[in-house]
Amino acid sequence: MMRQVIYALALGVVAAYTFFGWGVIVQIVLAIVAAIAVESAFLSIRNRPIKPSISDGSAILTAVLLAISIPSIAPWWIVVVGVAFAIIFGKQLYGGLGNNPFNPAMLGYAFLLISYPLQMTTWVSEFLSFSQSLDVIFNLISVDGLSGATRLDDVKTQLSLGYLIHELNVYSISQSWINIGFLLGGLYLLARKIITWHIPVAFIAGVLVVSTLLFISNDKIYIPPQFHLVSGATMLAAFFIATDPVSGSTTPKGRLIYGFLMGVLVVVIRVFGGYPDGVAFAVLLMNMIVPLIDYYTQPKVFGK
Amino acid sequence: MLSQSFSGGIVIPNPHPVEIVEIILAPLPDKVVLPLQQRIGDEAIPCVKVGDKVLTGQVIAKTEDHFCVPIHASISGKVVTIDERTIPHKSGLKSKCITIESDGKDQWVEHKGCGTDFLHCDQSTMIEYIQASGIVGLGGAGFPAHAKLEGIQDCHTLIINGTECEPGIMCDDALMQSHPREVIRGVEILLHICGAQRAIIAVEDDKQEALNSLLMYCHNDRISIEQIPTKYTSGAEKLLIKALLGIEAPSGGFAIDMGVVCQNVATTKAIFDAVIDSRPLVSRIVTVTGSGVESPNNFEVRLGASFEHIVSMSNPNDNQHAVRMGGMMMGVDVKDTTVPICKITNCIFVNNALEKPDTQECIRCGTCNQACPVDLLPQQLYWYAKSENTDKAMDYNLSDCIECRCCDYVCPSHIPLAEYFSFAKALYRKNTEDQYRTDIARERFEFREYRLERNKQERTKMMAAKKEELKKKMANDKSQKDKIAAAMARVEKTKKKKDDAQ
Repeated sequence: MMRQVIYALALGVVAAYTFFGWGVIVQIVLAIVAAIAVESAFLSIRNRPIKPSISDGSAILTAVLLAISIPSIAPWWIVVVGVAFAIIFGKQLYGGLGNNPFNPAMLGYAFLLISYPLQMTTWVSEFLSFSQSLDVIFNLISVDGLSGATRLDDVKTQLSLGYLIHELNVYSISQSWINIGFLLGGLYLLARKIITWHIPVAFIAGVLVVSTLLFISNDKIYIPPQFHLVSGATMLAAFFIATDPVSGSTTPKGRLIYGFLMGVLVVVIRVFGGYPDGVAFAVLLMNMIVPLIDYYTQPKVFGK
Repeated sequence: MLSQSFSGGIVIPNPHPVEIVEIILAPLPDKVVLPLQQRIGDEAIPCVKVGDKVLTGQVIAKTEDHFCVPIHASISGKVVTIDERTIPHKSGLKSKCITIESDGKDQWVEHKGCGTDFLHCDQSTMIEYIQASGIVGLGGAGFPAHAKLEGIQDCHTLIINGTECEPGIMCDDALMQSHPREVIRGVEILLHICGAQRAIIAVEDDKQEALNSLLMYCHNDRISIEQIPTKYTSGAEKLLIKALLGIEAPSGGFAIDMGVVCQNVATTKAIFDAVIDSRPLVSRIVTVTGSGVESPNNFEVRLGASFEHIVSMSNPNDNQHAVRMGGMMMGVDVKDTTVPICKITNCIFVNNALEKPDTQECIRCGTCNQACPVDLLPQQLYWYAKSENTDKAMDYNLSDCIECRCCDYVCPSHIPLAEYFSFAKALYRKNTEDQYRTDIARERFEFREYRLERNKQERTKMMAAKKEELKKKMANDKSQKDKIAAAMARVEKTKKKKDDAQ
């Protein structure tokens, strides 16, 4: 199951590769190696069998999700530290897969974003070759000429400087294609019945409802809703992150509430918060209220 | 064809389908072992001795318990032992059994029922025949048939359950194909007993031959035959009622609470035999199937014959076998094939022994709650059952779990969920019983304290009263004393006067 999810990520990864170059792939490989190493080490400390845990694919999925989320030119230790934090503090300390209340990848991401904000928000603006990517990631050479902020970040800065929406170029080709890639991958997961429709649909609805309301209220300072759909990590979150079964809600009705509120939070954090994207925080906040949602959304039992 | 059904449930195709579903008459066994402990109620008391000759259908054990049915000899011959033997039960339980060695003649006791013109019999006579013939639910539950039929008021619908309880079982299908006339006549008898307006025979939609056979004999406009989707757990009484009538029996309630009586087709046929000529139930149809046999089939076999008796007729292969009584889902594993066939043995699964896949952690994927036919949340229940938090599990409606094992079947982590639930239920029962006992003990203790306190108070009150009385008495005594003193004084005075006068 986890393996299928990893395959489904391929399209989005290919899109990211097309725009950012080999760094994307290097980060993923680094993350996977780090995840396997950390997971094995921790399992051996806990005296648990290593093979079944590695082969369930959960550590690798966490690694891939985190690697996709961070900038492709971040120094190598960023992803290693992030993966280690995600696996140790996000999963193993709670007792391993199935017992973690938070989405490990997003916990790792939030940790990195708070601790290393500069490295976490510097994105590359052109395709980098394999050797260029290695240079940037391992030799830590300056990337000033190649880098910049993401479009979400950029728009936010411009808006804060008093520009109006119609004066800005809000669309980003690379972001749109990456999001479409993850959307297609997500549809594959739905078709294979690996995830149910509830969370993605509710999440997208949440994003659309709030962003549309904001846009209607003032179309000069709020980004149009369609832009929210294809920016940042929207599609990745809708199909791959919010649908993590372990830390998410599990009742049908609960999944709708969980997804919808998460979509709402994402836009609220994007628009009013201090960070350009809000997926990680939205996910973590929603993880906290999962027990509450599950308790109050139990289906009606037969004969009651 | 019905479109409505209950939510959940799972579609499992018959794992070992056969081309023609038929019934093979198994030869008379050399000996039969008949357990005295039935599914519910007291253990029956033997009314024969070792060495006695018995006839087929003769009562060999009975109890006063009204919930129980008598036990009949299923072959004619000699009682050879009455002792403890392993019976087909989850825990490998032993029970007292009567063993009869066959004389090969199969001589029957005389029996005479209402006859084919049964309408002249009244309901209570019919129910007596049903009880005396030893009819219990043959679908697998083994609930005594007479107990379901007694004292019925306001029954509007009779449901005859012709769905196999589990994938792989074919005995009811075979019965409907081979004995459609008896089934239909049995339904008429049941309609007469229940006083219901109509009867519905439920047949799964993949059992076309069974449906055709029944239709051929069904000329009563009060009886209809409905096809229902072939889905596991539609054989469960309450879920079948929901699928057919769209009504849900209340949690903890019974079908009869809603004016519905439900009987299995095989039970219906046995009731026909019992009422028409008071023929005791001495045989049943058993499916033998599984990956360990070459030719799965149905056998009509005498009760008490060993599993081996019919397994050997199904060409078992030479592998190590895992034997199971009942279906692949809810059946019970038995140690070997020497245990006897009893009234609830609808199926014997003989599978090649395989290693079970390793259990992994629950990832809360929720596949189980989609499969649950009673809309529980097995993933949440698992969490609480595992941590033995039974109160919380009851909050999540643990008691409504029917232990159908749909959740086990779909679980990608291969967690034996239903086992956890059955354990948690037992634990809850034990805890509440313990709680009850401590409550009683506490009450007793508190009452004792109260009683001691009350006695003490009563005693002090009594003492006080006595004291008061004594004081009063003393006071009285004082006046008495005064009187005496006065009298004495007077006497003294007069004496003095006298003396003075002298």
